[in-house]
Amino acid sequence: MCFKNLPVEFDAQGKPFLREGVANPYAQGTAVAQGGSRQLGTEQIEELLRRNGHIKSVDFDPVTRVAGALAFHTVADLKARKVLEARSVATLFRGYEVIMIGRDPRDAIYITSRACGVCGGVHSTCSALAIEMAIGCCPPPLGVLIRNLALALEFLYDNPLHLHLLAGPDYSAAIVEPTNPSLFALAKKTEAPHAEVHGFRTMADLMTDLNPLSGKLYLEALHMTRVAREAYVLICGKYPHPQTIVPGGMSSTITLSVMNEMFLRLAQFFDYGKKIVGIWDDLTEFFYQANPEYKKVGARRANLIDTGIFDHHEAYDATYEGANDWGNRRWYTPGAIVDGKLVTTDLHSINMGLEEFVEHSYYEEWAGNGQKQRFPTDPAGKPLSPYHPWNKITKPRPEGQNWKEKYTWDTAPRWDRLGMEAGCYARLWNTAVAKRQPENPFIESTGHSLKVRLPRGALPEMEVEWHVPAVWNAFERNRARAHCVASTAMIAMNNWLAAMDILKAGDTRTSTKFEIPRKGEQRGVGFWGAGRGYLTHHLVLDRGAVANYQILTPSTWNASPTDRWGQPGPYEEAVLNTPLLEETDDPKQFRGIDILRAIRSFDPCMPCTTHIQSEGGLITREVNTCACGLDG
Amino acid sequence: MRVIVGGIGYRNLRDHSVGVVVTDHLEWREWPPHVVVEDLSYGPIAVVQRFEDEPPELRFDRAVFVAAAARGDGRPLGMVTAYRWDGVLPSAELIQGSVCEAVTGVIALDNTLIVGRHFRALPEEIIVVEVEPVEHEAGETFGPVVQRGFDSLCQLVTKLALDSAAVSRLPVTPLGGGVHPYPAVR
Repeated sequence: MCFKNLPVEFDAQGKPFLREGVANPYAQGTAVAQGGSRQLGTEQIEELLRRNGHIKSVDFDPVTRVAGALAFHTVADLKARKVLEARSVATLFRGYEVIMIGRDPRDAIYITSRACGVCGGVHSTCSALAIEMAIGCCPPPLGVLIRNLALALEFLYDNPLHLHLLAGPDYSAAIVEPTNPSLFALAKKTEAPHAEVHGFRTMADLMTDLNPLSGKLYLEALHMTRVAREAYVLICGKYPHPQTIVPGGMSSTITLSVMNEMFLRLAQFFDYGKKIVGIWDDLTEFFYQANPEYKKVGARRANLIDTGIFDHHEAYDATYEGANDWGNRRWYTPGAIVDGKLVTTDLHSINMGLEEFVEHSYYEEWAGNGQKQRFPTDPAGKPLSPYHPWNKITKPRPEGQNWKEKYTWDTAPRWDRLGMEAGCYARLWNTAVAKRQPENPFIESTGHSLKVRLPRGALPEMEVEWHVPAVWNAFERNRARAHCVASTAMIAMNNWLAAMDILKAGDTRTSTKFEIPRKGEQRGVGFWGAGRGYLTHHLVLDRGAVANYQILTPSTWNASPTDRWGQPGPYEEAVLNTPLLEETDDPKQFRGIDILRAIRSFDPCMPCTTHIQSEGGLITREVNTCACGLDG
Repeated sequence: MRVIVGGIGYRNLRDHSVGVVVTDHLEWREWPPHVVVEDLSYGPIAVVQRFEDEPPELRFDRAVFVAAAARGDGRPLGMVTAYRWDGVLPSAELIQGSVCEAVTGVIALDNTLIVGRHFRALPEEIIVVEVEPVEHEAGETFGPVVQRGFDSLCQLVTKLALDSAAVSRLPVTPLGGGVHPYPAVR
């Protein structure tokens, strides 16, 4: 029984059904989201601003060091050192769902890839999976393994990039010294516990090498993006928009020489994984020990969602009916976590609980006003909401910004009507707790932690262990992301070994021939993931053309606005819970570093969230002239 | 003297793709051995690494970058501006912004030049040939203005790759050609 809000129950055989006697099961009042932080009313905020000089509007527009255009509005009480209002604003419109209508589904692989300049491959793959499911085409085992390797390499590009180029500077000497001088003074005197792994004697040394542009860790991360990219293009031909991902597998030719070239690069992440885990373990513990209040920075309910990723080559059959089985055999386990408890690992339940709302988004409603629901159930006959992506129609309606009404191009996705958070850490958490990972020599799921054994390189063989955290906050997001580098590297190693076995046995097939049906209606969903977490593409085909295409990305979840029940989106909730620990009483000197740490810990990716199509054409970069001077 | 001609831009974005279409067009011509023509639209950090990979004895002495650049500051649509970049970098904060844009997928003339110069990967002599785009939407073809000027644009780029005297006659200016204010770069 994973649903607490939606009136979905399960019979003795585990088949879900809508509770009897509920006239409108998906009405706003029938299923009410419970618990969590709430925004203050707009009138209350306005009154507080009027009456108190120490309560200020603090806007971050744009939020820098994130991918794409994100603005963030806060009202902060600088005396009480807390945030009273937080509004996440995706400032550009996503048009990909509209662009896809009427096209050949194969176009989706290339068009949706352009949603992101970092993780194009995950969108291509997610498209391929949705098409495979819709048309009934399963890749050969080597195709599954090579696809896993390609995307693992993309994550090995993405996660270090975030940690040391985007979020890392928030913990660098260049930022910490001016915003928290006493903390930096302490860092100079504090020895780093993992010095023998990462090479930094004191925490101040470590922070200094996180400095943007000049720090060794910053420059090393730039170099590691190259290593991952070189391995990736051996399979995908091109980065960031791969040319070899097809429904039914990969069009790459895989030889032992390609595998060896790939291994030479993958192996560099074994030592890098040890190092990056040591760095983020040390940073997290240092901040906690210096001031336990840091545990509240970016804190929110541990409500997380992920579809799992990296299929087992002997399990994946590309069917919706089989999704619970193959999903539970993925290398990273799917799951929904509510208040820190894993409530399901079944992809059907994850899919059934999905809804998107637009009360505060620049879109028109497509349900709730007597419209006919196109799909009352999924292909397995399980109930779906009228707000489910397969039923959603993207109807953009730009208008003026108003916190009470509409203020963002992002929608409010909810699962069981809860604001869920997406991130690579969600899959780490699911995998650690569920104990469903395939048997392998490198990774062990203990039920409360994930142990990863990293082979010897320049550093000795080492086991790193990620524990399910007692608190969920900005620091734990970054720490978990570092552990994902280690675990993803070793998942890639498992897949590399399996691929070598298949190649040695003489099976070089990487794809299965397919045809797009020209008759009837088909549905498919790609359950995949980005480096930043959860990713689904929901597809409806009608006589060979795309009739509906819906993309739900990690940042769509995380950047979501407040919903119809007053629940803030994850960024908003995390910022509302963030204490302002910056050491200044002067509003002019206030940089909002704690707010920015909270936001950046999610690894925002706004091009994915709101895919940037305007009346004037495709926008590749928005230059915003508003410089409020508050950004770190 | 080794010279590289590099096109920068996204494909299938009408006039914004002019840089890569120029290098697509030129790379099939017969060039002397000291001239290399390449699509350099794979991200500024990767471009830095590509330049760094060149053996010391084969480092490029001149780079001719060709791209669309929407300055939006009143210069005539379709105008071609050629100049020697003075190489002056913006503030560290703006350079950091360019690196962030680069690693998160922004491919543009300015961030390629800023990131490349910051990491000391580019040749000393940087020639920029930029076109103020007219058509901004997605599509495979140029608008009529850029289409009309395409052949002469290719001739100009060719001349600047081969003719040092022609290069020396170009003004040395900031990004954008000097006539216009320094572009905002995050």
